[in-house]
Amino acid sequence: MYRYDEFDHAFVAARVSQFRDQVERRLSGEISEDAFKPLRLMNGVYLQLHAYMLRVAVPYGTLNSRQMRKLAHIARTYDRGYGHFTTRQNIQYNWPALSDVPAILEELAEVEMHSIQTSGNCIRNVTADHFAGAAADEVADPRPYAEILRQWSSVHPEFSYLPRKFKIAVIASGHDRAAIQTHDIGLQLKQDDQGRFGFAVWIGGGQGRTPLLAKKIKDFLPESDLLSYVTAIVRVYNLHGRRDNKYKARIKILVHETGVEELTREIDAEWAHIRDGELKLPEADIAAINAYFTPPELVDRAEGWGELAAWKKSDPGFADWVGRNVAPHRHPDYAMVTISLKPIGGIPGDASADQMDAVARLAEEYGHDEIRVTHEQNLVLPHVALADLEPLYRALLADGLATANAGLITDIIACPGLDYCALANARSIPVAQEISSRFGDPARQAEIGDLKIKISGCINACGHHHVGHIGILGVEKKGTELYQISLGGSGDENASIGQITGRGFGPDEITDAIETVVETYLASRSSADETFIECYRRIGAEPFKAALYNSEAEAA
Amino acid sequence: MTVIWTQNGIVENDPWVSGAAEDPPKLLPLAEALEHAQDNAAFGVVLQPADDVRKLEPILDRIAIVALPFPVFSDGRGFSQAMLLRQRLGYTGELRAVGTVLLDQVPLMLRTGFDSFEVEHVPTIERLSKNRLPGIDLHYQPAADKAEATLGYSWRRTAILNG
Amino acid sequence: MKTTQTKTKVLTANRLTDGISVWLGANGEWTTSLKDAFLARHEDAVAAITAAGDQALADNRVVDVNVIEIEETSSGPRPFRLRERIRADGPTIDYAPASAAQASHAA
Repeated sequence: MYRYDEFDHAFVAARVSQFRDQVERRLSGEISEDAFKPLRLMNGVYLQLHAYMLRVAVPYGTLNSRQMRKLAHIARTYDRGYGHFTTRQNIQYNWPALSDVPAILEELAEVEMHSIQTSGNCIRNVTADHFAGAAADEVADPRPYAEILRQWSSVHPEFSYLPRKFKIAVIASGHDRAAIQTHDIGLQLKQDDQGRFGFAVWIGGGQGRTPLLAKKIKDFLPESDLLSYVTAIVRVYNLHGRRDNKYKARIKILVHETGVEELTREIDAEWAHIRDGELKLPEADIAAINAYFTPPELVDRAEGWGELAAWKKSDPGFADWVGRNVAPHRHPDYAMVTISLKPIGGIPGDASADQMDAVARLAEEYGHDEIRVTHEQNLVLPHVALADLEPLYRALLADGLATANAGLITDIIACPGLDYCALANARSIPVAQEISSRFGDPARQAEIGDLKIKISGCINACGHHHVGHIGILGVEKKGTELYQISLGGSGDENASIGQITGRGFGPDEITDAIETVVETYLASRSSADETFIECYRRIGAEPFKAALYNSEAEAA
Repeated sequence: MTVIWTQNGIVENDPWVSGAAEDPPKLLPLAEALEHAQDNAAFGVVLQPADDVRKLEPILDRIAIVALPFPVFSDGRGFSQAMLLRQRLGYTGELRAVGTVLLDQVPLMLRTGFDSFEVEHVPTIERLSKNRLPGIDLHYQPAADKAEATLGYSWRRTAILNG
Repeated sequence: MKTTQTKTKVLTANRLTDGISVWLGANGEWTTSLKDAFLARHEDAVAAITAAGDQALADNRVVDVNVIEIEETSSGPRPFRLRERIRADGPTIDYAPASAAQASHAA
């Protein structure tokens, strides 16, 4: 993974001093809250219901054990002993004092971490496939390009006051595990027929009040043109994005209102001027960044095959966990392990400081010291030998981290919601907990199969409910919480926005309603192999609506 | 209290700040500027955030100063306008930030090509007059300022301090 | 003939230094407990707490100042809005870190 050089170290140190100065000026009243707000947002500091919240960047979801230990230490020392992993691969702390934030940032800088631009109307954390560098189906590791974009976008003087936030995601496979079509810019790394690297480029995806899928505007952007092309897109957006209405200010609205052809013309016209200028990426630089992402030395460990088979036979729990949470690696003797942060009935995405330390230890021992955060609020150890899966599992089990539910109905994505967030209209975590408990039985989960439930506590859609197979949106109606269900969303390469079923459900009805949806699926599926999303796309919304709204009495 | 500040300090007797109320405006909006260009005297232009700066191209050599307003500090269009004026049009005259000019945006404005600032915010004036800017002198991207390419990657720059 | 009952109000904000939710107390100080908030039952009192809030904002002691409506109950003031009740009582979930010894449920 990327290692800071002297320039990077000096930069984050200067950034910490800068923010420390800004905090002092705020505390002394030299700057007002209005003027301070964008400054603190650009350092990841929100004000929530109960306290400040600090969002720490985990660039493209990659970190090592030393960094994970520091995150645990910060949770213990400055917070209440836990953190929350987010739908953009970052981590959030819910209880830091503003006056402590400079010290926290200093500690983060010690391990090459920061909170730069994790909020604000600027370019945010560039996310990537959480299986990058390990997946068999990628053309190459996309993360070097995410790193280049991360550097280039840091404190960009032209793009620090955009109309709204700007999110970029990068993948390198036809299988989209980073939901690029819901991003302002989505990039898919590919190779042309001469083996040269480049990107398919999408723009204008986004969720929130007006969910829209991105449109592909370029089939092959040569890799050396990455920075100039992104500059052209963001410059056109900065100049022409709406500034009159916060809810109409993302680039997706500009695409929608201008038309994708016209907007692409404007982008290309701007790009023509800068394409061959100082933003051209030299091969040597790309190669140098690439070198940081050289995969770890993976020794053959073929004994794992036999061992794995034997362990699975003797321990059904282990077998289930392997079946759900362990995915094939490029190297046949290895696997990619998902560490579920969704214990049955638990708070999705939260990890205690002890659990973070445990993951750090296990990453060192079994994972070649590499950890990933997924946009579905789980962790991944991308390089684990099959021969080490059983001891890893035992250790995870002891720390409450071995829930075998990756991609199942209890692997719920939920925003913090009204329990924490000042923007929320309804709570999301208790809904997630209740659904998880209701469906917690392993056999039932296995029967239901792949099913992504995503819950947001307000229209800002931080829980990504629009792309949940089942999406739940919490709203406020007459002072009480109400939950709208949407069905058929998907964030992968066959992206779709979910459709609302109809009237919402109260907190005491929502879990039953989800049960009704699931039962309808089970009764309607063509076979046990037809997943929920496949079934929905085949039969449509009507059977689900009928089940939810038309049946008044119990079936005879 | 309004001052004009540049990296050389506070400017006394700035020619572009209106004196008495009855003086004619010295900074012309875009449409008037395009008409006015027939005359010989150098003049100043004040654009709006929605204006296309490229329209100034035919008259650029007549312009002594371009003022770009930041109606609220969150409206960042002026940064792109400045970049285009400097890098696309090759404008070398004075480029002034007016409107809401606050200390923490000044380093970004300097990088995007602004070289003078009309400031009303008292704490900002105080810090600027002491030359205590809150910027970071290491840059991860080129911009319109004079900065050196630094050892390392092509996109990085370091500020040229003291000149 | 009915008289319109104006709802009792309290002043709430978040402390600037640590962001913790606070309410304006009877003695003019900020308290972290809604129970100790000063109850403004009449127009004059509401004007007074509003002014106190403006002052505290100007003094850089608090941010996000709001006058909110509460119901006076036998167990103390209860905000009408769910959001304010959650601010007063804290998150409705048990966010205390999961015990490391907690066994996971295998799927």
